[in-house]
Amino acid sequence: MLRVESVVMSFGGFKAVNGANLHVGAGEIVAVIGPNGAGKTTLFNLITGHLAPDSGRILFKGREIGGLSPHVICRKGITRSFQVVNIFSQLTVFENVQIAVLSRERKTYDIFSKVEGMAAEEVERTLRSVGLHDKRNVESVLLSHGDQKVLEIAVALSGKPELLILDEPTAGMAPEETETCIRLIRKLSDEFGLTILFCEHDMGLVFDIAQRVMVMVRGGTVVQGSCEEVRRNTEVQDAYLGGSA
Amino acid sequence: MEFLSHLFSSGTLSQFLVGLSRTTILFIVSSGLSLILGILRIPNVAHGSLYMVGAFLAYSVIHLFGGGVAAFVAALVIAPLGVAALGFVLERGFFSHLYEREHLMLLLLTFSFALIIGDLVKIVWGTEYRSVTLPVVLQGSAEILGLPLPYYNLVLLLVGPVIAVFLWLVINRTKMGKIARAAAVDREMVSAVGINVGWVFAFTFVLGCFLAGLGGALIAPMTNISLGMDHSLIIEAFLIVIMGGLGNVWGALLGSLVFGLTQSLGILVWPKFGIVFPYLAVVAVLVFRPRGLLSSTW
Amino acid sequence: MKHRSLVATLAVLGLLCALPPFLPRFYVYIASIVLLTGLLATSLNLAIGYGGLYQFHHTVFYGVGAYGTALMLTRAGAPAPVAMIAGPLAAALLSLVMGVICVRLSKLYFGMLQISLGSLVWVTVYRWYSFTGGDDGIHGVPLPDLIASAKGSYYYTLAVTALSLLAMRRIAGSPFGKTLQGIRDNPVRSEAIGVDVKRHKLAALVIAGFFGGVAGSLFVVVDTSAFPDMMFWTYSLEVLIMCLLGGMYTFWGPFVGSSTLVLLRVFVSVYTQYWGLILGTILSLVIIFLPDGMLGFFARRFRKGEVRGA
Repeated sequence: MLRVESVVMSFGGFKAVNGANLHVGAGEIVAVIGPNGAGKTTLFNLITGHLAPDSGRILFKGREIGGLSPHVICRKGITRSFQVVNIFSQLTVFENVQIAVLSRERKTYDIFSKVEGMAAEEVERTLRSVGLHDKRNVESVLLSHGDQKVLEIAVALSGKPELLILDEPTAGMAPEETETCIRLIRKLSDEFGLTILFCEHDMGLVFDIAQRVMVMVRGGTVVQGSCEEVRRNTEVQDAYLGGSA
Repeated sequence: MEFLSHLFSSGTLSQFLVGLSRTTILFIVSSGLSLILGILRIPNVAHGSLYMVGAFLAYSVIHLFGGGVAAFVAALVIAPLGVAALGFVLERGFFSHLYEREHLMLLLLTFSFALIIGDLVKIVWGTEYRSVTLPVVLQGSAEILGLPLPYYNLVLLLVGPVIAVFLWLVINRTKMGKIARAAAVDREMVSAVGINVGWVFAFTFVLGCFLAGLGGALIAPMTNISLGMDHSLIIEAFLIVIMGGLGNVWGALLGSLVFGLTQSLGILVWPKFGIVFPYLAVVAVLVFRPRGLLSSTW
Repeated sequence: MKHRSLVATLAVLGLLCALPPFLPRFYVYIASIVLLTGLLATSLNLAIGYGGLYQFHHTVFYGVGAYGTALMLTRAGAPAPVAMIAGPLAAALLSLVMGVICVRLSKLYFGMLQISLGSLVWVTVYRWYSFTGGDDGIHGVPLPDLIASAKGSYYYTLAVTALSLLAMRRIAGSPFGKTLQGIRDNPVRSEAIGVDVKRHKLAALVIAGFFGGVAGSLFVVVDTSAFPDMMFWTYSLEVLIMCLLGGMYTFWGPFVGSSTLVLLRVFVSVYTQYWGLILGTILSLVIIFLPDGMLGFFARRFRKGEVRGA
């Protein structure tokens, strides 16, 4: 479904992503791991169009998407969450999801209808399935950090993506929130057969939900494979797990 | 051909030099605006009002001292200092508490100060036109390359570079200037290393106001000093600063030159629409370089 | 709740309709100015309050709307209905052109570029004596009898303002309006859910410019004139103040703010010539003593307030 081929992207002289390769098949849950500064977020930003690659190819369903604008890439079926919570903080939980639904249905240029109550059924269903239904009228800036992250996933989900990208979905969460979040990601994958690409620092979580893992070090791909293969790979142990794992 | 000979006739050429000398004043005023915008991040609409105050102060000082060279020199010193003092009060009283506000709020706050200062000037100096006559020594014209150029315009042409060098020295060679530049880039970092940014900002604001006052004092003998002179100037100064690159003093110099030159040339080429040309130049520059000619401190 | 707001609207409209017979001619004129200035401020708010666009030179569209209508009536001798729509369309077109140039920038740079473009329009109108009348402007614009009298122009202004406000309120409460609020709140998130941020901003600018132009064409009806000061930069700042004082994040705030300022100015001018001093003092006190800025203050209002329920 997604194929990243020897992509290079540099900031000034620094090559943040240097020849990364990645393959995500339909229905897979793939994790990207690597030490801080390995270029994971930059890679995600390249895939979703927030950055343009210097060279290399990014193919989604066989079509080149490298260098397209974020909103165009979203329309092609990739939505995402960000590492730092990125929601409409001054709008309510309901409105957050509602805008995403309206955007997907291409109704954002509609100046004649009343927005109130539009797409309510779907929004409420989504909020129920992520467990935010009872907070639907809360201004989202007032939510707990964990709830905000979940809301962002709900917003990304409402674009009905084929590929969902999650940049550290559990960063900064309390343990029980992390637990809920993992259950949510599992559920999404089971219920909707969603393809998920995510990056995460919590190795327990990675090996828990990912089917395959890609290891990134200094902007390049070290290894791609099943959890077992990656765990056994000595190069990974040296570079990333400090040889102790 | 006739058109060209008209363009290069001695009369129009000296007219051109006179126009150029006026850009000196644009430069002085807009460099002050640029400093305040670049380092303090305040889009100071009241800058034009301070310029107007400078002109009225110069008028009063000259009348108080009864004219002559001494009075004129005194005006050039006292008027900018008076405006700087006003700036000091404004900075300590208001802006020093408000640096973190949104630009829109600061813009409107300075606009409200502009309204207040405008009316205060009306109360103090009244609504009539005022004018200042040059001291006798400065009346008359010099011959430059066979062209007549009024002495005062010659003085202005010389003052411009002097101010530019002075600003360069302050910004690049003094500790204050270096801290100010660093603070423009990263305010928190500078205060984190224990430097009292507050006073650096006060100094910058006061310097900017001084330049506004100086511009006002210098324009005094060349124009009718009147209410409303702030309005026409502030928009030009803003455009110059935008064109040059927000907060870049050299941008202000370059911007003033472009603005002044296109205006002088424009008036030569098409007298009726001459005033339109500098605006056209600003738009042309910004369409291709939306962040201005030189790098901005933002 | 629905019923109450409908009743309130009808009551206000009824009151405004009944006003002219009881007012001296001059105050009927002032009432018209209040209405069209309210329309102008509300149109600006669509861009700056809802869209978060730093529309620093909105009165250019007001001026172009007025000149469009006035020139059609005087130079082209066009029928009044054509002239009335030509002004706003010219303003919308200008807004589109300026928007295309400005929209790639954000915040202060957007505002600054808009000031530059707007000033170019202003200075052209100001100097083009043979076409626009230069700094004298255009006076004594001929109007059809129906709207030529003070009362006639008042009722016309009232009708057009009411319809325009209704339309803008509809837009503000539409999916487009909600998307615009989303863009103001978080453009990155908007893009990531597939919203073409630039095109939505552009659309908002054109709508705001159009209604600004409507206000301008109304001014021609009320004052039978158009002049360059209408589109001078400082007037744009004054309209911004109206929005700020009334509350930018509410739909009716700018209308309330502008009415207050226009009326205050009329009454204060009777007693003193120092209107600027009074306005400046009020404004600076408001900005300084509401520590969040009015924006934050009204943001909180707004959440519980009418736009939310719209």
